[in-house]
Amino acid sequence: MKSELRFQFAVAVLAVATSMFAGYAVSQTAPQSLASPESFASISDTDARSAAMFTELGKVLTHPRCTNCHPATDRPRQGDEGRLHQPPVTRGADGHGLAAMRCSTCHKHANFEPGRMPGHPEWHLAPREMAWEGKTVAEICAQLKDPARNGGRKLEELIHHIGEDTLVGWAWAPGAGRSPVPGTQKQAGALVEAWVKTGAACPAQ
Amino acid sequence: MTKLSLTINGRPYGPVEVRDELSMNDFLREYLGMTGTKFGCGAAQCLSCAVIVDDPDGTSYTSPTCVASAASFDGKAIRTVEGLARDGELSALQKAFIRHFAFQCGYCTAGFLNEGQVLLERLAKAPVKRADLENTIAEALDGHICRCTGYIKYHEAVRDVILADSRRYLMANQ
Amino acid sequence: MRPSRREFLNWVSASGIALSLARLGSVEAAGLPPRASLPGRANWNPAANGAGRVDGTAKVTGAKLYASDFRAADLPGWPANTSHAMLIRAPDATHVYLGMDIARLGGAMKPSVVVTSADLDKIGTRVPEFYTGDLFCPLGKTPLYLGQPVGLLIFETFDAFDQARLALRDGTFVRFGEETGPVAMPSYGAYRFTRVAGPTPEAPDVYSPILAGWVSPGRSQNAPLPIWSPAAKDTEASYAKAAVHGERIRAELAAKNPNVLVLDREFETQSVDPMFLEPETGLAWYSRNSGSLELVLGVQSPYEAAESIAHLLGEARGPFKPARINTQFTYMGGGFGGRDHTPFVLYVALAAMFFPGHPVRLAHDRYQQFQGGIKRHAFKMRSRIGVDRSTGKIQAFAADHVLDGGGLANFSVNVATVGATAAIGIYDVPKVDVTTVAVHSRGVTAGSMRGYGTLQTMTALEALVDEVAAALPLDPIEFRRRNALAPKGRTMTGNPYGVSVRTTEILDKLEKHPIWQQRAQQKSAAAQGMLVGTGVACVTKDYGTGADCSLGRVELSPDGKVTIYCDHTEMGNGIGTALANRVAIHLGAVADEVSVARVDTYDALGLVTSGDPYTMDQKTQDAAEKNPRWVPAISSATSASIGAHVGTHSAAEAARVIFRFGLWPAALELWRIAANDPRAKDWEKAQWKDGQLVMPGLAPLPLPALAASAHARNLVTGAVAHSFSRWEWSRARFPLLGEQYRAEIDALALRRGNGKFERINRVSVKFPPTDNNRIGTSYTSMCGTLVRIEIERATGALRIAKAYSVFECGQALVPEVVMGQAQGGFAMGVGYALLETLPPFESGPGNGQWNLGQYLVARGSDLPLHDLEIEMLPPLTPDEPPKGMAEVVMVPVVPAILNAIFDATGRRFRSLPVTANLLKGVLA
Repeated sequence: MKSELRFQFAVAVLAVATSMFAGYAVSQTAPQSLASPESFASISDTDARSAAMFTELGKVLTHPRCTNCHPATDRPRQGDEGRLHQPPVTRGADGHGLAAMRCSTCHKHANFEPGRMPGHPEWHLAPREMAWEGKTVAEICAQLKDPARNGGRKLEELIHHIGEDTLVGWAWAPGAGRSPVPGTQKQAGALVEAWVKTGAACPAQ
Repeated sequence: MTKLSLTINGRPYGPVEVRDELSMNDFLREYLGMTGTKFGCGAAQCLSCAVIVDDPDGTSYTSPTCVASAASFDGKAIRTVEGLARDGELSALQKAFIRHFAFQCGYCTAGFLNEGQVLLERLAKAPVKRADLENTIAEALDGHICRCTGYIKYHEAVRDVILADSRRYLMANQ
Repeated sequence: MRPSRREFLNWVSASGIALSLARLGSVEAAGLPPRASLPGRANWNPAANGAGRVDGTAKVTGAKLYASDFRAADLPGWPANTSHAMLIRAPDATHVYLGMDIARLGGAMKPSVVVTSADLDKIGTRVPEFYTGDLFCPLGKTPLYLGQPVGLLIFETFDAFDQARLALRDGTFVRFGEETGPVAMPSYGAYRFTRVAGPTPEAPDVYSPILAGWVSPGRSQNAPLPIWSPAAKDTEASYAKAAVHGERIRAELAAKNPNVLVLDREFETQSVDPMFLEPETGLAWYSRNSGSLELVLGVQSPYEAAESIAHLLGEARGPFKPARINTQFTYMGGGFGGRDHTPFVLYVALAAMFFPGHPVRLAHDRYQQFQGGIKRHAFKMRSRIGVDRSTGKIQAFAADHVLDGGGLANFSVNVATVGATAAIGIYDVPKVDVTTVAVHSRGVTAGSMRGYGTLQTMTALEALVDEVAAALPLDPIEFRRRNALAPKGRTMTGNPYGVSVRTTEILDKLEKHPIWQQRAQQKSAAAQGMLVGTGVACVTKDYGTGADCSLGRVELSPDGKVTIYCDHTEMGNGIGTALANRVAIHLGAVADEVSVARVDTYDALGLVTSGDPYTMDQKTQDAAEKNPRWVPAISSATSASIGAHVGTHSAAEAARVIFRFGLWPAALELWRIAANDPRAKDWEKAQWKDGQLVMPGLAPLPLPALAASAHARNLVTGAVAHSFSRWEWSRARFPLLGEQYRAEIDALALRRGNGKFERINRVSVKFPPTDNNRIGTSYTSMCGTLVRIEIERATGALRIAKAYSVFECGQALVPEVVMGQAQGGFAMGVGYALLETLPPFESGPGNGQWNLGQYLVARGSDLPLHDLEIEMLPPLTPDEPPKGMAEVVMVPVVPAILNAIFDATGRRFRSLPVTANLLKGVLA
């Protein structure tokens, strides 16, 4: 037995050297970057610059990591394909799920990699009025500026919410099998801050 | 590693060192030999692995065990299918499942029993209107997959237990 | 017909490995042993008064029942610790396999053993013919199919296994090199079924498979698809004859004839997974000291599994060839055909052989089950139907089927032939020509999943018929009635059915049902933004495979307790309870010990077999049957809806013998009726009532008193029987108590009093003729379904508002289980029609990335839980035998939904599934 075993390992090592084709593609795509606020300096028109920065931020906001839990309906979505959440669950009275199926029964305090289960202590759905799924970046921009549809936040508070909130931050560390949103949370926060400070202009479309 | 202590079916277990990557399902099945809790999908999709968690505040809920670490159950009290009968006497729901031929292969039965049991206990505290009962049952059981039966007999069995004690589970005068 | 591989003359295999199956120790406190008798004498028996299943209590208390429940520590005599094996599969089948890079498994994660193709070569394993193909892909070859195993990693401890599986989960350690494209293989098989009826229904057929045999086209060297033309080069005369008739039928369909409506349609079905809830699992332990390989497995085909493992290791060198294989078969967490003839068991055995002394568990997780488990065949079909416009009668039907069999042959040929011979459903069609071919692909292996073949072809047919009715136009139910095959009419293979045919009765039920009656009114009353439609379909479905058998052993204790052993298996189908109920018809009491999936308790019969029962010729059978211990087949898989009909038959016949030669003479003595009294022959007039034997004018006798008396007087108290069916039962005569006892069995052993079982050699036997192998089926059950659906125009969301299924199954042994099967069949039909699908190749399950969530099966919220009405017709006569029904109930659901979608939307969908997204697309 032992000699057979060693033989196998030798083969395996050889295999690494000659390997060209790596298994199968996981759904994870190569991490995208986010442009910094400074990189928009060449746009002289303030509104245009502001809008361009929001468009850049749109890479984050329209990403399935965000839209899956900012869904158009009461049912969250999941995966990079944004398929309807299984098992079927809806937001419930408080956005934390149904009486018989609370978000937290599966989504614990942190990701659990062996079970491929994402987690965070505050796991829940964004309120209905904050639905982003299926919307354009311009529509989301208008929505974000409207306190009635942004959780009653002032624009300045959005800097903190997007730049520092840990549930939002989960989108940059979603665990294996789920692609993270582009850039870093800090970069996204910087973009929000620059966008707010340049008048929070929205892209035309 | 985490030192894990928990109560299962009223009996204390631990403290025992467990790896943080060890799932609760494997803890029950591989370490304790408690295989009444099933492994179906490993992805919280079928819920055949669901157990009942009893919170100190008196509320209970089901939790899948395949996507949760054993460590996350530290300090908790849970019930599994092995603990639903008391002193050899089957619970009302267990009897109803048998009477209704609710299951066929039986692999999803533990999950349905636990979900149904939690529903009964919830309704005992917060009864619903008779008119809302079917929807309440449907919503409670919808996370559980059964490939054999088409669900109808499970739902009938749960409803029967509730209607047999409607004063306890349903709002009065409904 | 279901050609099988046959290499053993005997259950004690030719390879010299004794397949001894001695029972292990007694009931463990931790749970039930794999071979548990349920419910057990000391326990409440829910089945005793019809209040549940014999396995009811075990299943609601979490008892250890399933293969996945057992660890070494649960098994008496086994070492305490369980090791764990991981089957590594190729997620690629178009590049050369270069090996596994498991360098990342350092330290605690290091496997104790790695098994690859080279190791199998070294020890000299043999692949059973049924599973032909490399068990592990050798280095330097392109995998034969996605998900082909490449190696087995065995870890001594669970901790090592658990950490390693996480480390390996991304799959990138399986290395591939040069692109070769998929491996080309010849097709698994091709057949042509052609029938030309005579001028009148009474006249003999001009041509039929029954008359001429089954025919296959010649094989073309280079093309995966056969050349169907009668003029092809390597065509045999027998084939050419069929093909000439077939081409003539096709020419008629192609001719422009204003009096004939001809529709020419394509239809595609998808690959799906049986999705039984318990992933395949096995436990095995090989002790080099004792030379014994012990296994715990859960399969639908226990006898076949044991035989295959014996073959696998039969010529292995030295320490890799066990002296004995002892297999315990467990309950299953669902089967649906996916555990029938599964190669998984071979890997379980290998895991044990390569880690001797250690019990090893091999268990799929769900991703692996999707990657490696047997699937349903995807079909591509083209059908042409010609209907006389004036009479509304079908004149001719021609179809061509191509099945994707995936990587291994498995049951592809059988699925193809069953699908083809089912292609005209309930109809009487005088001219039929159907070609079918099952091809190899790099997809995951497809096999005999619930309703195999018929689900696909009858879905296409019933959707086509709906279109025909609309085009004529003629009411869809009236069209079906005009064309329904009469009870004595001939099927496509040229034989009539041998059982009740109740199509008209079912059509009447469908027609009168409110769902059908109110269809126009419901459609016009649709709410704003909603589309409402009603659909109907009616099918008839074979049960059995054409060579099915069962083994049954029944024992009656002195206190009147009944114990039953049966070789058929429990996967949810309720076989245990059905056995108990059927035996109770003869013995007056429901068994309180039923042990299923037992292939080890019939030694007394001393059965031998040879040849292939599906392909044997009459001369061979005539010669073989001279040995009174010879039977055409010893044990069958629990498949093809044969549980009630075949699975319980032997035990029922054994019970009949116990009654006739044990309880009846005991009763005569207690009643003091002399042997020459004419009443002594009135056993058929006796009836069981509440556990007492009742005869008019005589004192009722309780079973315990009769049993005690039978034991005291050394009368028959136990019987073992074997039965075989090739579209009819074998029958034999046995010398018993000075008379010639005739029964539909072919082997019998008896126990008197508390004695040992002794074989009673048959004195004559009539096995069904081998020509019966030309029958497509003679056993059939019917089911019709109505559905009313509502589709939300904006989203395409489809809801089944109401549904009704009506079916017949002869005598239902456990009506509650039958109803449950019908409800479950409805749910599986809904999944197949609307939800379930697996892409064929790289993006499909063979890539190892599929699980529920992405793969959708019907949940409660997808079904009309409060609006599904199921009607089971009572048996045609009180003594009508049970008929298989577990598959037929699924079939009409699918086309009924398609037809309802057409009614609602005006669109015909000719591929499955019809998802909400597709509907949304066409409604936009």
